[in-house]
Amino acid sequence: MAPAQAAQSQPQSPSEIFLDAVSVAFGDRHALSRVSVTLNHRRIGVIGSNGSGKSTFARLLNGLVTPTSGTLRVSGLNPVTEAKEIRRRVGFIFSNPDAQIVMPTVAEDVAFTLRGRGYTRAEIAVRVTATLERYGLAAHADAPAHNLSGGQKQLLALSAILVGEPQILVADEPTALLDAANTRRIGNYLLDELPQQLVLVTHDLALAARCDHVLRFSEGRLVDQGHPAAVIDRYANAVEHG
Amino acid sequence: MIALYRPGTSLLHRTPAGLKVVLFMLVSLAITVAGSTPWALPLALVFVIVGYLLAGFGARELARQVFAVRWLVLFMLVAQIIFLPPLVAVGNAARVLAVVVLAALITLTTRIPALLDAIDRALRPLRRVGVNSAAVGLLLAMTITTIPVIAGFAATIREAQRARGAKLRLATFAVPLLVMSLKHSDDLADALAARGVE
Ligand SMILES: Nc1ncnc2c1ncn2[C@@H]1O[C@H](COP(=O)(O)OP(=O)(O)OP(=O)(O)O)[C@@H](O)[C@H]1O
Ligand SMILES: [Mg+2]
Repeated sequence: MAPAQAAQSQPQSPSEIFLDAVSVAFGDRHALSRVSVTLNHRRIGVIGSNGSGKSTFARLLNGLVTPTSGTLRVSGLNPVTEAKEIRRRVGFIFSNPDAQIVMPTVAEDVAFTLRGRGYTRAEIAVRVTATLERYGLAAHADAPAHNLSGGQKQLLALSAILVGEPQILVADEPTALLDAANTRRIGNYLLDELPQQLVLVTHDLALAARCDHVLRFSEGRLVDQGHPAAVIDRYANAVEHG
Repeated sequence: MIALYRPGTSLLHRTPAGLKVVLFMLVSLAITVAGSTPWALPLALVFVIVGYLLAGFGARELARQVFAVRWLVLFMLVAQIIFLPPLVAVGNAARVLAVVVLAALITLTTRIPALLDAIDRALRPLRRVGVNSAAVGLLLAMTITTIPVIAGFAATIREAQRARGAKLRLATFAVPLLVMSLKHSDDLADALAARGVE
């Protein structure tokens, strides 16, 4: 347990996300057009208007979406051909906490991630308990997951992903359905405490401003990237002046 | 409708999940097969009561489980009474009730992962004919997880309709429920894939 604890609390060095002319098309609709970028920042923000391709970009990173053309590597792996390994290394959380809960109770859902990884039952129990304690869910371990509040469910989704100790966490609008207090709680955790590298898709520009590097998409193209304040400023201007 | 694990230390809690599943299958089979014999029902009743007592739950929990499936039992009763003599219909409904309440006793005293492992092992011989036993277990667990979510959708739709003063009609209820459920199952499939389930 001690090595796992240490690994969790120390920031891990970020791995490289590399895209070269990556396009994604759904039928004749281009969700992403020839995106090229190399990222090795700790906290990467992704912004842009509705339908601009943010989710498609995020989903590429753990193999939920397949590039139509171009080259994609995450931590040196190809998410398409090495999907199994990628899914251990790249955790993903979605907006809707309800649709991420697979098992009936809180502890079972967290334990579910560790099935088939060669841990003994006792090891799984120890890891699950430690994770639930870290996220303030220990008191709900045996409660039906369905009865948690929205914020608690999102914490559960986070616990269930992080118990597997991924290297990268991709979060697609993780606070979209949360109230102000829970947005702050989850946002603070992701931006200040998470030891993993983070890719955060968000419409909340205050959260994006706290990242190390921000990407802006527009109509499937990567139109801007760089220092958060500058990118957000130009985005605000673009929105203002059409 | 499906009972969730209640932590405890009773004899039944400590019995291995596999043994409970096998015992349950045998007893259900006996209750089904021995249907017309007059002693089958009283024996099933004794079995159910002893089971709940062994688990440390008592009559209150038993009553609650019976109450939870009242609509199912009532529906069966009504459907059968049209075609069968009343006594037979009542007997059939009572047997189904006994099996359902016993199943609840298992989920009340067994953690889902243990139950899944047991089901996985019990179904493993069927792998040769192409049954993916692990997938069956996962499907079962996800069904248990999803039932309250779908029930929540139904409540939301009803509320929205009431707010607009709409009367309850099957089309205006079933269509949005289907759409929401399909969207949910799409999202759930994504989440499963992201968590490494093929
Ligand atoms: N599975 C799909 N099938 C068809 N089209 C899709 C699919 N997924 C995305 N698209 C389309 O690709 C484009 C980009 O979608 P994407 O979900 O990546 O946008 P987004 O930036 O995440 O938007 P939002 O802020 O609304 O979440 C949109 O035009 C969308 O309609
Ligand atoms: Mg999106």
